[in-house]
Amino acid sequence: MALRSSWLKVPWRRAERRRHDPYWDFFINTPPADRANSVLDVIRKAPEGNVFPTRADLHTPEVTTTHVKEMARYLGADLVGITRLDNDDAGHPFAVVCAVRADDDPREAPGIGGQVPVQNGLFVTFVLSAWIRELGFRASAAVSADAARLAFAAKLGTLDRTGKLVTAEYGTRVHVADVIRTDLPLVPA
Amino acid sequence: MAMTPQTETPPPPYLGRSVRIVGPVSNVDMNQTPHPRNSRGELGKALFNWYRNTISRDPLTRVSAPNHFADQRNFLAALVNQAPKGKVNHQRVAVSDPAAMTRHIKAVAHHMGADVVTVARAHPSFLYAASAPPKDSAARDVYQNRSGDVYQGRTPEQMAEQYPYIIVATTAWDYDKLQAHRHYIGDAAYHVSQMKAQMILKALEGYIKELGYSALRGMSNPQAAGLASGVGELGRNGLLIHRKFGARIHMPDPIMTDLPLVPDQPVDNGVEDFCKICRKCAINCPTNSVPFGDKVVFNGVEKYKINWLTCYKIRPYVDAHWGSCLTCATVCPFTKPNVWWRSLTVWALSTCPIPARPLLVRALKAIDDRFWGTTRQTRVRWLGYDSGVKPGEQACTVAGCTAVHGTAHAAEPVGNLGYYAPLKENTNRFVKRDV
Repeated sequence: MALRSSWLKVPWRRAERRRHDPYWDFFINTPPADRANSVLDVIRKAPEGNVFPTRADLHTPEVTTTHVKEMARYLGADLVGITRLDNDDAGHPFAVVCAVRADDDPREAPGIGGQVPVQNGLFVTFVLSAWIRELGFRASAAVSADAARLAFAAKLGTLDRTGKLVTAEYGTRVHVADVIRTDLPLVPA
Repeated sequence: MAMTPQTETPPPPYLGRSVRIVGPVSNVDMNQTPHPRNSRGELGKALFNWYRNTISRDPLTRVSAPNHFADQRNFLAALVNQAPKGKVNHQRVAVSDPAAMTRHIKAVAHHMGADVVTVARAHPSFLYAASAPPKDSAARDVYQNRSGDVYQGRTPEQMAEQYPYIIVATTAWDYDKLQAHRHYIGDAAYHVSQMKAQMILKALEGYIKELGYSALRGMSNPQAAGLASGVGELGRNGLLIHRKFGARIHMPDPIMTDLPLVPDQPVDNGVEDFCKICRKCAINCPTNSVPFGDKVVFNGVEKYKINWLTCYKIRPYVDAHWGSCLTCATVCPFTKPNVWWRSLTVWALSTCPIPARPLLVRALKAIDDRFWGTTRQTRVRWLGYDSGVKPGEQACTVAGCTAVHGTAHAAEPVGNLGYYAPLKENTNRFVKRDV
């Protein structure tokens, strides 16, 4: 979580320790034999909860935006941005895009360890979208093909030639979590 | 190996200086612990309604706290804990060096976001009794995640022999937000990290099964496994006190496994000597549930025993303003940010010869009272929350907010003190202190 202090961390220690770990490759690269042993499907396939019938007393859209971003960071997102959606199917005007640091690219590492960034991203997007629904506004988190493009629109970074997000903070070692589409009044970046 | 019908009971384990096993310990029935008893209605109507029929008025509590949601589908921990269990992989990963595997499992848990990971040697007295939790989800506690009848006719001795290790992995909650305990901000610090711990443990359980070994949940008492593996020592407040985080760590359901590992040993952080003198948690407890006196022997275990029933009974009374009290965890002098002066102090205390410790403890206690106060009432602002606003009062203190809020606002609170509900005055309705 966000509790660890990082100012004294030696950058090469972690990689060094992992090179001596005989099981680390299994953790990162071997896909689970039983999908039920991973929490990803459990969270992704869960039905969406209800929107709370009473809307919470909100502050201005600017303040709400800082609150949403602060909440996402507290839940473990490393980067968070908001962008306007032009033609959303469900008519949601805004998208909240969260990105988490990824030591291994989840698209190339199918193991439980390689999917840890996805797991962290799902934790953020599930709780954040549930929170927005409990505030009384619609919000749905779903896998979307244009996540990287929306992250670019939310000014998290730029896209490289292959359409991957490149950020100033983590380079390409970043995973864009599910996009939350919402009608909570926000201010896009 | 032929299973003998009666395996010999191993000698009582060493649990550090704070807890001692002095007599026969009978296995605790999980269904007789506070939350399951309450969910069956055995603790009275007020508590039952608080637990089962209350919807919190705080949106964040509705997504993060067990049993106060408006819609359970918005609560991640319920989803994760009630998910079907995966199968053990047939292709077992051979473990030639248990020490390397122990390092690996700890690295895995840290990679997933756990703050504390230790391995305990299982002992029959740590295990919950054989009875399984009820099947239907209404009578089932969210955090009871044993899958059916895991004992299958075996005794606790046989279980501890067959699954000899218990992995304790947990998260710590946020120090700054904890300062506004007895407030939704403190609740958020507690509940969000609790949800995270539930998800990490579920993923870790799945990973051990993928390695080809069994992983049983809902088997072991987390505090016993935590003590045996050196997560911390048991304090006067009945909480495990960790070397780095103090009392602000969760103790979720650990994983019992037959994966070959190397167990950790109990630690000595000086908690034993501190708790003999300090009593800060006992003084601050709003219900006087924390003992002022000495340790007692309960179920064959010598320890400080809190009165869980009075601790539990306050909850329906304060439900409108906060969910988790956390007073004893917050005022504990060991609960400090994880920084160098804290490490230095704990190091000094734990390396000090035991006969000289009372003197050092008195000095540290005086410093703690002087700088952090005898009670904690820091004002914390987070999101739209402000712990300086009295519960029930309306005031938007968010900087830069020009929104017109529906309700009339009270005067803006001033100063840097949090609003701290004076609960001590109401104490007598819960328990009389015998001084």
